[in-house]
Order: sequence, then structure tokens, then C-alpha cells
Amino acid sequence: MNRIHLRRGLPGRRDAGQRRITVMAAAVTAAFLVLIGQLWYLQVLEGGRFLDASDKNRLRIRPIAAPRGILFDRNGVPLVDNRPAFTLSLIPRELPREAAARDAVLGRVAALLRIPFQELQDAAARVPPDSFLPLRVRRGLTLEDVAKVEEWKLELAGVITEVEPQRVYPTSRFAAHLLGYVREANDDQLRQGRYRRGEMVGQNGLERLLDEYLRGKDGGERIEVDAMGRTVRMVQQSEPHSGAHVVTTVDRRIQEAAERAMEGHAGAVVVMDPRSGDVLAMLSTPAYEIDRFTGTIDRAAWQRVVQDPNFPLLNRVIQSQYAPGSIFKIVVAAAGLQEGTLTPGDRVSCNGEFRLGTSTFKDWKEGGHGVVDTYHAIAQSCNIFFYQAGLKIGGPTIARYAQAFGFSRPTGIELPGERLGLVPSGRRERRAWPLGETVNMSIGQGAVLVTPMQVARFMGAVANGGVLWRPRLVQRVERPEQGVVYSDAGQVNGHVELSPFVWELLRRSLWAVVNDGGTGAEARIPGLEIAGKTGTAQMIAKSKASLGQDHAWFAAFAPVKDPEVVVVVLVERGGKGGQIAAPIARRILQAIFFEKIAAVEVRG
Amino acid sequence: MTAKLMVGFDRRLLQNVDWALLSATFLLFAMSMLTLANLHVGRAGGGVAWRQAAWFCVGLVALLAVASLDYRRLVRAAPAVYLLGLAGLALVWALGRSVSGARRWIVLGPMSIQPSEIFKVCFVLMAVWVITSRWAQPVGGSTLFMALPVAAVPFVLIIKQPDLGTALLLFPVMVVLLVGAGLRLRLLGALAAAGLAALPLAWLVLKDYQRERILVFLDPFRDPLGTAYNVIQAKIAIGSGQLLGKGVAGATQSRLAFLPERHTDFIFAVFAETWGFVGCIALLMCYVLLLLRGFDIAASAREPVGRLVALGATSLLAAQVLINVGMVTGLLPVVGIPLPLMSYGGSSMVASLMGLGLLLSVRMRQFQ
Repeated sequence: MNRIHLRRGLPGRRDAGQRRITVMAAAVTAAFLVLIGQLWYLQVLEGGRFLDASDKNRLRIRPIAAPRGILFDRNGVPLVDNRPAFTLSLIPRELPREAAARDAVLGRVAALLRIPFQELQDAAARVPPDSFLPLRVRRGLTLEDVAKVEEWKLELAGVITEVEPQRVYPTSRFAAHLLGYVREANDDQLRQGRYRRGEMVGQNGLERLLDEYLRGKDGGERIEVDAMGRTVRMVQQSEPHSGAHVVTTVDRRIQEAAERAMEGHAGAVVVMDPRSGDVLAMLSTPAYEIDRFTGTIDRAAWQRVVQDPNFPLLNRVIQSQYAPGSIFKIVVAAAGLQEGTLTPGDRVSCNGEFRLGTSTFKDWKEGGHGVVDTYHAIAQSCNIFFYQAGLKIGGPTIARYAQAFGFSRPTGIELPGERLGLVPSGRRERRAWPLGETVNMSIGQGAVLVTPMQVARFMGAVANGGVLWRPRLVQRVERPEQGVVYSDAGQVNGHVELSPFVWELLRRSLWAVVNDGGTGAEARIPGLEIAGKTGTAQMIAKSKASLGQDHAWFAAFAPVKDPEVVVVVLVERGGKGGQIAAPIARRILQAIFFEKIAAVEVRG
Repeated sequence: MTAKLMVGFDRRLLQNVDWALLSATFLLFAMSMLTLANLHVGRAGGGVAWRQAAWFCVGLVALLAVASLDYRRLVRAAPAVYLLGLAGLALVWALGRSVSGARRWIVLGPMSIQPSEIFKVCFVLMAVWVITSRWAQPVGGSTLFMALPVAAVPFVLIIKQPDLGTALLLFPVMVVLLVGAGLRLRLLGALAAAGLAALPLAWLVLKDYQRERILVFLDPFRDPLGTAYNVIQAKIAIGSGQLLGKGVAGATQSRLAFLPERHTDFIFAVFAETWGFVGCIALLMCYVLLLLRGFDIAASAREPVGRLVALGATSLLAAQVLINVGMVTGLLPVVGIPLPLMSYGGSSMVASLMGLGLLLSVRMRQFQ
């Protein structure tokens, strides 16, 4: 370098900048010498060893899937666990190169395991032929399948069986919508570049919400195999790291009780703690079989679920909207009492019919309830009383209270796809509000639509004196070595101010629904003070009667003094709330409070 | 060939064409063609070498164009060129094509262009413009202060693609330029210390999977299925070449496709397997010759703009060669940086030749 300088350059007049350039050039030259040294080491000193390695280059890389984190209930009981499962994989690079020989191998696998040949071919065509990563073709092999593959091993070049941890659920449909399922990353997710092909990703519910935490870090081992695919030696191994554990707010015992109670019905159940917004149980029926969704599902089974007329994929708790039916009368009563347009002593003589202009609105009870006051009107769910009360209070005011109680607003639950329901807009206040609409709204029919989760939050507010809690599903996420990495302290997202006497009257009337000759008598449990409200949501078009009956609601909280749980039950096309939904709620409440009830029975 | 284009130029310009530099360039290109012609790359077929040759021609035109322009005019136009380059980077973000999760290319008909490659040249010009601008004089703290955003803005854009290697390349070039401009080393040390101190802060902002990527970058064996595999296979390829190489027919590692990215970032491993230690020495000597000529051009330039342009172009080339060969031989972590003039890739080829064009331009005008 220096010589070049002197020849070309400016001998004797080298400035500081030139000296610096000389130093840099020397540094670069030195770096090249280091590279040459490394090449000397690799090619000359160790060359023979590497030549050996390249001659029998049959390194195989075997990923070791990390177990996903476990989801626990609030008492530390697992909701989902892992167990080892067998997976059939192809290693594209080790499959025969000639198409005919490759098809022979795939054909043999297809015949052995009864997998459609086309499916195997499609799978193999999706990845580059020189890929060294195992391509998972079929998960959940039986031991028998594995034995067959091992038996034919010598003729199945490029076909291996692996062991991977797989999700297991207490029952096939257990809390399917809440937990969600785990499947291979789909094309959209691959496009985002976050996942590798064949990687397992949470696709719904909590599995998806917390995927970042639940997924572990896969390990892998590099093994040398001989021409037969047998392991010669282990070259290198890295341990998989399990995912983080999640403590949910769910109580597995209550969830199971709710699932038992709902068996055979389509609908939704929410059990919530009105003191914190904790979701103790949540289910939507019919559910899909989450264990069949895990891993690779065959196309036929998937089609069956997607095309099922009962929409098992729909999470009815937050994604279906229903008319609230008579449950809405609580809102109407609260609005009237607070605004002074309704007093506890107001009496209405109910003969079963109410005329407005030319239309006639009927009570659900033939012949009516006779003379009722507010307390009895709520208890017996008298429509005629609420038609008149609604007209006095006015549609806009009712709508305002409905919104204050959280209807038509998101509950803030962390699951995706929540629907908002509908309350006729308060903006129409200035214009004439059709009276017929007000009459319909007074008994929770017509334009009002709610989700079961909104009803649970609302009922919680009635139970705790006006606090709307955001439904909480996750308490905390813990990593074995790091401790708590995420926690949710719960959050209030609304407040309803009513005077104490209004709350008192509402609670007393709701107690009467169950305990004092009301419509919810079916929910009565001796030894437990329950308050609740029935609802029967009419199907919008009566002509669809062929489809069945009305939706049945029951929303309850217990114990009346210092409520600990809210239970909301919705049965689609179940019929009357008091007859269908209330007994289901009773069974759930029995399971929750069985110790307390037993104690009373023993004493009694 | 050069003569035709430069008719009407000062004759002294032609006398100062650096023939040694051009010879090294052609030698390297010949080695690239030789290597690519014997590779059968996946589905692209055998056309890789021809495409590379076509790009080399495009690059030569660019080289001649750059060399025939006065580099001082180029530096004066640097802000506009730089903004155009940034726009190109932003365009990738808007309508780039994504290949295995990274958006680095813009598709124009049958070819795809990688703006971050071309941007490297724009970056050198802009850095020189800033450092020699009159607001940055005398060279000191204020120069540093003005130069930083020139590197930081494209750094963010490129790292978003994500292309960590190219993004990190900007900093050594900037440092070399500042040192060449006479920045006191103590000031540079202080900046490095401040940067190191800020690292933990950046760490806190990152998401888990982003941290994981950086950890894998530092230690490829954390991800034994990804980068570590490439490194091991590359080492086997290089090592098995031994002293004299296996020749074209015997290079099984490369032919049997154990090597990933073998026509792009890992082409050096293919070359090393085929031609052995002796071939590697010849290849590296070509680069050393090229780079020493570059430093010489910088040292003999008579005024700071020319010196810095030459220094920038040389350091850009040097950093890429050293990092690429370093990572392929297992000395450095794997970042996606191509080997200039060797790796298959049009944008990289054109950018490298444009850089050499800058060197020629400075050399030809050193006595003006």
C-alpha cells in the first residue's frame, strides 16, 4: 500500500488525512488476512474432515416441538393440557427424486394409513423439493399406524414419524369457544412472516389471544443418518422451551356444570362474578369438537362443521344478538323510577290487552294479571303494566338508560368478533319517536338487540349497585423462569347512578320473580336467595314458527344479599324463559352453591 | 469502448483511467459467470448466468455514465438523489413484493428491483454532501450531529423490510467517511459509547419475537433449523474444497443443493468448493487489488469531496466483501449481504458498478 502511495502520490507532503487512509487500508488488508487464515484452517487443516462430511452428507434436522403453555382455571386446575401424539411427516429432500419412485412411496403411505393419495401429493408439491424440514402430513396417528410405518420403513425413504405434544381437552367440546383451538398456521398468517409452515398457531378464543405467550420455543436436533435413514449419531441438540402458563378466571367446576345443564339445547350461558367482572364460565352451544380441530383436520370434517345449519363455530355469547324480551323490563323500571315517571305505588289493572290507536298489544297471559303495582308487575312480568309505563317514560329516556347499562356498547371482552347489539339511537330524540316502537321496546321486543355477555354485565350492575365491569378472562400469564409477564387487574367501564330506593325496589322485585309467585319460580332453590328475571324473546317473523319457538332467557344473581355470581342463560327456540331457561340456571346455581345448600338442608 | 462515450472530453481524463481497477472488476465478473454457469438453481433453471451477464452490461453502462460525470456535480445533486432513494425505499413498503416474509423488491415487469441496493450509492453521495457542506465546518461535533440522521432515516426504513444486514452496513461507511474527513477519534468514541448505552432502551421497546430474531442473529445456533444449518453446510462445502478444489464436476455440496442461497449470498462457498484454497486466494486478491486501488484514489485526490467520495465507495465495497466472506466462512453472524460483483442479483451488480464508476470519476479528475 505504502509503495503504491509513494509511486503515485505526493512524497513528503502526506497530510493527516492520507495517514488515516493508509491506516484504514492496512486495517482492511489485515481483515483479509484473517479471512485467508480461516480459509487455510477450513480447507487445508480441516479439509479432509469436511470432505468426509460432504461425502456422506446425510444430516437430518429434526425439530422438537415445544409444548404450548397450559391454561389453568382460577383454582389451578388445568383447562387444557398436552400429551404426546404421533405425527406423520415427509422430508422432501429424502424422498426419491424420480416422480415414479416418489409416487410409489406416497402411494404406499396412502394405502397403509388410508390417507387420500391426492392429499399427500398436494402436500409434497407445496414445499420446495430440496427442503430439509419435515413436512407434517397427518397428526394424531394411532400406535398401530406408527407400527405400520416402522415396519415398511426401508421402502419409505423420506417418510418419518415424529412425536409432538398435542392439546388434550377434558371433553371433546369443552369450553370450545372460550379456549379456541390450535392448528397449523394458515396462508394468511404465513404471509405475515411471523410463522413457519407447519407451525402450530392458536386460531380462536384464548389460544389465539394469548398465542404469543402460549407458544414455546421449538428446539431441534441435528442427527446424522445413514442411507437407510437410521440414526448414526446425534450431532447437536437444543432443548425446546415450553410456553407460558395462563391463569384464567374460569372455574372449571362451574364450566362443567353449565355444560351439563345446557346439554341438548342450543344457546349460551355466562356465569360472572359481579364483584370483579370475572367470567367464571362461558359457553355457546352447539359447540364444535375442538379436539378434532387440533392439528390437521381432514377436509370433510371441516366442511361438515362450516356447513352445519346450527353454526357451531359462532360464539353465541358475544357474536349473536337477540331481543332481550322481558329482561329489558328491569331497564324500563329503573328509568321510570329514577326519572319519577313511575312510582312503586302505581297500579294498573291488567286484563290481558292493551289498545294503542288501532293496534292491540297482548299480554303473554290470557286474561291478564288483575291489578298489579310495580313490584308485582316485575315479578309476574306483566306486559300491560310496562306498555303503559313505557309510554309515560318515553322511548328516548328508555334508550338512554339502556345505553347507560351498557347495551349497544362493547363489553370490552378480549375475544375478537364481539357484536354490539342495538338500542334505537338517542339522536332521534328530537323527532317523533313512534309510539308503537316505544310500546314494543318496553317489553324488550322490536328494535332492541343484546348479546348474552351484555346481559351478564348489566345483571352484574343490578347486583352490585351500578358498576359495569369489563368481563375479565385472564388473571395472569406466568413464565416458569420469569414469573408473571402479564396480568389483568380488571377494569370498570361504566357506572349507573340510581337512588338507593330504586336499587332496593329492583332487587326486591327480582327476588319476587323467583320466590314470590313470579315467573321464575322454576329457579327457586331452598336455602339460597336468588333474584332473577325471565325473558321470552319473540322470533321476529311469527311465520317462521316451523323453526320452533321463542328464545328463552333467564338472568339471575345470588345470593341476593352480597351477590357472588350472575348467571345468564339463553336457550334458542327454547320456548318460555321461566320454563326452559330458569331450570338450567337453577342447576348451575345448585352446582355453584352446593355446600351452602347442603348446610341448610342438614340444619332444616 | 470507453473512448466512444468520452469523445470531446479532456484528453487527460482518458490518460487517468484506472486500468488495474477495471481489470480486477472484469476478472471478478468472469469468476462469477464461471460459478453461476455451473449451478442449476431450483426452478429458475439454468438462465441465472445469462441474466447476470445482462445485468453486468446494464451495470457497465451505469459505470460509464457515472464515471463520465464530474463527481462534484453528483455530490451537489446528492440531496435530490438521496430523497429519490428514500422514496424508493418507501415504495417498497407500499407496493413491494414479499419473499419469505421480507419486502425488499419492487416488481417491474419481468424483473424485480431491490431499492435498498441502489440506495447504498445514494447514501454515500449524501453523506459526503453533508460532511463537506459549509454548515458542517469545521469537522467536529456539529458534523456528527448532521451526519447521524442521514444514516438513521434509511436505517429505520431498511430494517423495517426487514433487512438487518443492509441497514447495519450504513454505519461503518458513515464512520469511515467521518474519520476520513478528520473527525477527532475521541468524539467518535463518545458517540459509540452513547450508542451502546442506548441499546438496553431499544431492547425494552421490542416485542418478544423481535428480540428472538436479534438473539438468533447474534447466535444462529439458537435456531438450529434456520441459519445454523446454512452455516454448517457452507463450512462443509468450503472445507471439502481443500487445497485445489473439486473442480466443476466434483462439487457435490453445491450441485446437490445442500447449500441454501447458493447463487446469492453463499456463492463464495460454491466457488471455494470448486476451486479450493488456491482459487479463494486468487478471488480475494482481486478484491484486495480493487480495494487498495480505491484507497489509493482516495489518498491521491486533491480536495476533500473527491477524497471522501472515493473513500465512501471503497468502504462500501470493503464492508460488503468482508462481511459476506466472514459470514460464509463462519466468522460472523449470518446477515443477508451479497458478495459484490459475484452474487447473483441485478440491483447489487448495478450498485457495485456504480460505486466503481464513482472511483473512476475521482481518479480521472485528480489533476484537474
